[in-house]
Amino acid sequence: MTTASEVLSSIQSAFPGAVSDARVESDRRLWATIDSNKILDVCKHLTNKLNFDHYSGSAGIDWIARNEMEVVEIMASHGAHQVVAMLKVKTPRANPSVKSLTGLYWNASWYEREIWEMLGINFEGHPELYPLLLSDPLVGVWPWRKDFKGYPDYTTGERAVAIPTPDGYTEYSFPPTQAEIEAGTVPTERPKYPTFLERETREIKSDSEMIMHLGPQHAMVPGPFLLDVLVEGERVKKAFLDIGYIHKGIEKIMENRTWLQDIVYTDRMCYVASLSNNECYCGAVEKILGLEVPERAQYIRVILEELSRIQSHLIGTGEFLTLIAGVGFAPWQYMIMDRERIISLIESVTGARLTHTFVRFGGVRNDLPDGFAEQCKKDLPYMRSRIEEFIELFAQDPIYHARMENVGSISPETGKRMGCAGPVLRATGVAYDMRKEDPILVYPDLDFKVITGTRGDSADRIDVRMREILESIHIIEQCLDRIPSGPIKTEAKIPKKVPAGEAYYRVEDPRGEMGMYVISDGGDKPYRVKVRGPFYATFQTLTPLLEGTYIADAVAIAGSMDGCPSESDR
Amino acid sequence: MDGLIEIITAFAAQEPGIFALIIGIIGAAVLSAVVNVGAMAVIWADRKVMSDFCNRFGPNRVGGRWGILQLGADAIKLFTKEDVIPAGVDKGVYVWAPIVASAGTMLVAAAIPFGALHIGGKDYPLVVANMDISAFYVEAALSIMSIAVFMAGYSSNNKYSILGAFRGMARMIAYEVPMGVCVISVAVMAHSLNLVEIVQSQTVWYAFAQPLGFIIFLIALVTDLGRIPFDQSEAEEEIICGYNTEYSGIRWGLLYFQEYNNFLLGSILVSLLFLGGWHGPIIPIPLLDMISPMIWLVMKVVIVIWFIILVRAALFRLRIDQVTDLGWKWMLPLSLVNLGWAVIIGSYFA
Repeated sequence: MTTASEVLSSIQSAFPGAVSDARVESDRRLWATIDSNKILDVCKHLTNKLNFDHYSGSAGIDWIARNEMEVVEIMASHGAHQVVAMLKVKTPRANPSVKSLTGLYWNASWYEREIWEMLGINFEGHPELYPLLLSDPLVGVWPWRKDFKGYPDYTTGERAVAIPTPDGYTEYSFPPTQAEIEAGTVPTERPKYPTFLERETREIKSDSEMIMHLGPQHAMVPGPFLLDVLVEGERVKKAFLDIGYIHKGIEKIMENRTWLQDIVYTDRMCYVASLSNNECYCGAVEKILGLEVPERAQYIRVILEELSRIQSHLIGTGEFLTLIAGVGFAPWQYMIMDRERIISLIESVTGARLTHTFVRFGGVRNDLPDGFAEQCKKDLPYMRSRIEEFIELFAQDPIYHARMENVGSISPETGKRMGCAGPVLRATGVAYDMRKEDPILVYPDLDFKVITGTRGDSADRIDVRMREILESIHIIEQCLDRIPSGPIKTEAKIPKKVPAGEAYYRVEDPRGEMGMYVISDGGDKPYRVKVRGPFYATFQTLTPLLEGTYIADAVAIAGSMDGCPSESDR
Repeated sequence: MDGLIEIITAFAAQEPGIFALIIGIIGAAVLSAVVNVGAMAVIWADRKVMSDFCNRFGPNRVGGRWGILQLGADAIKLFTKEDVIPAGVDKGVYVWAPIVASAGTMLVAAAIPFGALHIGGKDYPLVVANMDISAFYVEAALSIMSIAVFMAGYSSNNKYSILGAFRGMARMIAYEVPMGVCVISVAVMAHSLNLVEIVQSQTVWYAFAQPLGFIIFLIALVTDLGRIPFDQSEAEEEIICGYNTEYSGIRWGLLYFQEYNNFLLGSILVSLLFLGGWHGPIIPIPLLDMISPMIWLVMKVVIVIWFIILVRAALFRLRIDQVTDLGWKWMLPLSLVNLGWAVIIGSYFA
């Protein structure tokens, strides 16, 4: 098995002088600064020679004190080895520009668009550098730069200028004040790019084609996002996706709150997976602090994360079933009813139904209540019998097979290339699970299988989620048997100011690989928190899947992704 | 009392045309009241049975714990809502679509026997227009709803509506032919197209005499009603509300209500054609023996309605191309097979 130091020596021997400031954190983490001219070659080398076939995202950081910006490319492998390479590329702060990786990795597009619109780092060679999360008036102010002062200044509402549009609506523009122009905080030039509407309307080639909105307000969407399909009759010819309707700027907010306060914000990224998000953030901070989590706390975390996975899969599958069967569909109601039991179990520990804020640095907030294990032993066998019933129910339904089989199929190669995550990727047959690849807590001691599918279609995605619930039940039962008594929080004193450092921590969210890249500059607040969301990764693959399908299938495919726009927009 | 009857008889003799008109208006009012109250009961049953299946309560506030007055509350709400006609719709067609739908269902109701009275050892069928071709007429009038659906969708000037309208039409073409062939098969066996005579000739229920035809007719009926698994024309998760996306208030209410009117009338049609209509043992209790054919018919209709409601809670929605596939590749050939069977069996017993 390849280790991080072997990867580093391979890069150094292939590209002498390209690597500076390299650090091998462990067998699984490599940090290296790469010469900005060599980054494309290094990535090619990693992919072709060292099996780094998983482009896991990139982060942009504004180092205002050093007067430079940094783009961190996160590279990993789909199971060939467990090394995560964090390759940093530096660029001057004035007129920042780096090379785009879109030519090498299909899924680099969204990550680079996000960095461009947020930090103003230009990506040379990116074919469609349009804003992704921000609305058009915000593009050009580069909100995630450290010297960003806020836009528009909401304290002076009278600055708003109403502009009537030809359609009869009113838009508001916020022209900068004279003081702001003199201070130089307002960009004088805005980037030029075609708007979303212009991009999609220029694809209409004939009178028989039309664009239909499936969102942002539509019975299909699990949260607000805009999915426009160009249809001819019932046939979808092209699909366009616009996200950012609930962009909350959580990464920026987290830079302005203390380390402890930030746990609350991780909850809000995805409320059906808030425990995984808690875990991801706290794990990263624990890594910087070098904290050891007591064993009992590790077991409690695993139990709760698996419970949260069960409830997330249940509501994801149930909502999806209503998309192809209507809201009167009985199994959907049954799933919500069963999910209520799991929610009650979690509530009995954390006190909250959805946003728990339960995980703490070096432990958990409180211990399991009395009678928790007994309640679990009652509920989990019931849950298992119900899930087996659902699996059998779907297996026997001919209409289910007609609607779901070979709908939105993804081959393993495509799944890897497009960077799908979680059950969507595992349904294609790629056994890629963070609990095995990058094991945390007590997962290495537990016995469980990584569930995979065979066809990668909508039916497989449901099947994988359902069988994953069975595995989660198995994990929780093992944990309940083995959980030791002892402290639930670390003895060590947790400082208010976290020492300077950086960490990348990955957990298996219900929707797949979630990573958080946390940087501390020694202050009482994080310097930068980059969230690599699983649905953000999967979401990107939606549009190519829809081409050539029927409208009804487009809805089925979009639903089978188990979307959480709240997490992808952050 | 005698004086009143004398006056009426005298009036009838003097002005037979006006008398017939008045009687007709009263009959139409009674008929539509009966059908609409029945449809309200069907809507209530739909909500309650669905919620029971799904482990919910359903309506349980208005009119006691069973929520029997819920529909009245809904109707008051719909009637008092603002009448919105969106800019850009084809106004004439838009306004007329719900009216055409209501007219279509009333045309069906006119020819359907609602039961029979058992007086003096003889069944007297209750039917407004006892015509010779009533089975065929009813099947034709049922499909007027599809035209109203197309009118509503086409005039709405909305992308979702137009797709719903097209889907409705494609579905209508798929189910109408096998449904017609099934009616013909029944007529062949009964040697009549009159619904009353079809019922009277059913010594053996046609559901047993031609089971294939019964199943195909039931599927075609669910397709006609536009209920899951065949609700493509208003698939909420795909095209918002399909053909009635742009409707609101009582105009929407009328369109919605006609679906349930059709549901009720279609269920009665299944009971008449295949389940022996009002046939059943006469209850040997005074007064009850008179309406016992009605009781049997109502029981059969309730069972059919129950079945169609439960199908909605249990099945997925088919794609529109799968519906047309089902209609043309399976239901039509099988209904023709059933027709052949009916001809052979019918001529053997004749």
